Amino acid sequence: MGDSQYSFSLTTFSPSGKLVQIEHALTAVGSGQTSLGIKASNGVVIATEKKLPSILVDETSVQKIQALTPNIGVVYSGMGPDFRVLVRKSRKQAQQYYRLYKEHIPVTQLVRETAAVMQEFTQSGGVRPFGVSLLIAGYDDNGPQLYQVDPSGSYFSWKASAMGKNVSNAKTFLEKRYTEDMELDDAIHTAILTLKEGYEGQISSNNIEIGVIRSDREFRVLSPAEIKDFLEEVE
Amino acid sequence: MSRGTGAGYDRHITIFSPEGRLYQVEYAFKAVKSAGATSIGVRGKDCVCVVTQKKVPCVQDKLLDQTSVTHLFPITKFIGLLATGLTADARSLVYQARNEAAEFRFKWGYEIPVDVLAKWIADKAQVYTQHAYMRPLGVVAMVLGYDEEKNAQLFKCDPAGHFFGHKATSAGLKEQEAINFLEKKMKDDPQFTYDETVQIAISALQSVLQEDFKATEIEVGVVRKEDRVFRALTTEEIDQHLTAISERD
Repeated sequence: MGDSQYSFSLTTFSPSGKLVQIEHALTAVGSGQTSLGIKASNGVVIATEKKLPSILVDETSVQKIQALTPNIGVVYSGMGPDFRVLVRKSRKQAQQYYRLYKEHIPVTQLVRETAAVMQEFTQSGGVRPFGVSLLIAGYDDNGPQLYQVDPSGSYFSWKASAMGKNVSNAKTFLEKRYTEDMELDDAIHTAILTLKEGYEGQISSNNIEIGVIRSDREFRVLSPAEIKDFLEEVE
Repeated sequence: MSRGTGAGYDRHITIFSPEGRLYQVEYAFKAVKSAGATSIGVRGKDCVCVVTQKKVPCVQDKLLDQTSVTHLFPITKFIGLLATGLTADARSLVYQARNEAAEFRFKWGYEIPVDVLAKWIADKAQVYTQHAYMRPLGVVAMVLGYDEEKNAQLFKCDPAGHFFGHKATSAGLKEQEAINFLEKKMKDDPQFTYDETVQIAISALQSVLQEDFKATEIEVGVVRKEDRVFRALTTEEIDQHLTAISERD
């Protein structure tokens, strides 16, 4: 891809064996808004802060949590524009799978293909790595799943994870609160509490986003009214 | 060519700096400010209005044909684009956007929605932030139009590839002052009428630039529910609004 003049990779090894561009990409992720995900026994929840640059911005025009297929959703920390590119590519890959096999793509396979795209951009000529980490949540025949994909293209399955500005506090909080047999509504409450921990200012149904998938295998983004109900239960 | 640490190159092409920033994108934002103009966009209840300065300070204007200077471009009959920043980059963007809108209409049989076009512009901008062979454009684009389902829409797309819908916004040299002014006016989520929208936009520009304009010195573009088309106001219409503003004060 790109001009022939740039047919060399911009991400190359340093003398100490590190890929510095990827490290910088991770720094970009680390300065992004906090997001997190929790896998419960009967579903997965992903959530993120939605801090907009000004009150003049129409918050209904912004949706940070996106569905990749009817049963897989994704949230990010880092650079919004890069996220949009990955969402578009992933959706296309999912559709290509469906066209070929007439079955919905399993979560692990979509994660693998998305990660492969991100890895490509660390090695191809004339491009930089993506400045986002993704949390992919899905429910398929293997049950509820949560994966985190990093700018390097490496991915892991998580019971609960967090990314972005408040990652260390959030992860500590999640480690304390997570239990293996947690149910989804409990997980949603925990997710809200974790976001609240590191939130600068007052948390409300307009400045966080929550996405949920249950055993019905339908990924949904909660409406502000539903978030409000959960917030009240948490208070 | 050693690129191990990216030393120095992170300022020339869009690769990450050690702090995780993209310097080329940040410099593109500075280029938008360096053009010297400020633009304002306001969304009312059933209309959108954008305003910008016509006379940019650094342009030698004695021999220049003023009527050829414009930052307001119709993309389709129903969608307009106000470009702030480098005019050459703006023309390139407008050309591509017009092409994309026409292809959309041909392919799908209906007019491209405002948010779809805004997203396309923003996605194109993102490509330039990730591929080394093209630099980001030094343009902030305000896209305005009337959507059947979502009513009046105003989007702002920047060199980083961000795009948001706005109730009101600004771009260019005095961007921050204008946003502060507009935040105060839009605090309680007012639903402005057409005349109020246009006058808020013009008076915001007058306030941050601290000068009173003549009708020939500014450009105003509007989209209204009544006729849905994007059009630039004539000098007479601008004059009427300016008079209304000065009588109000």
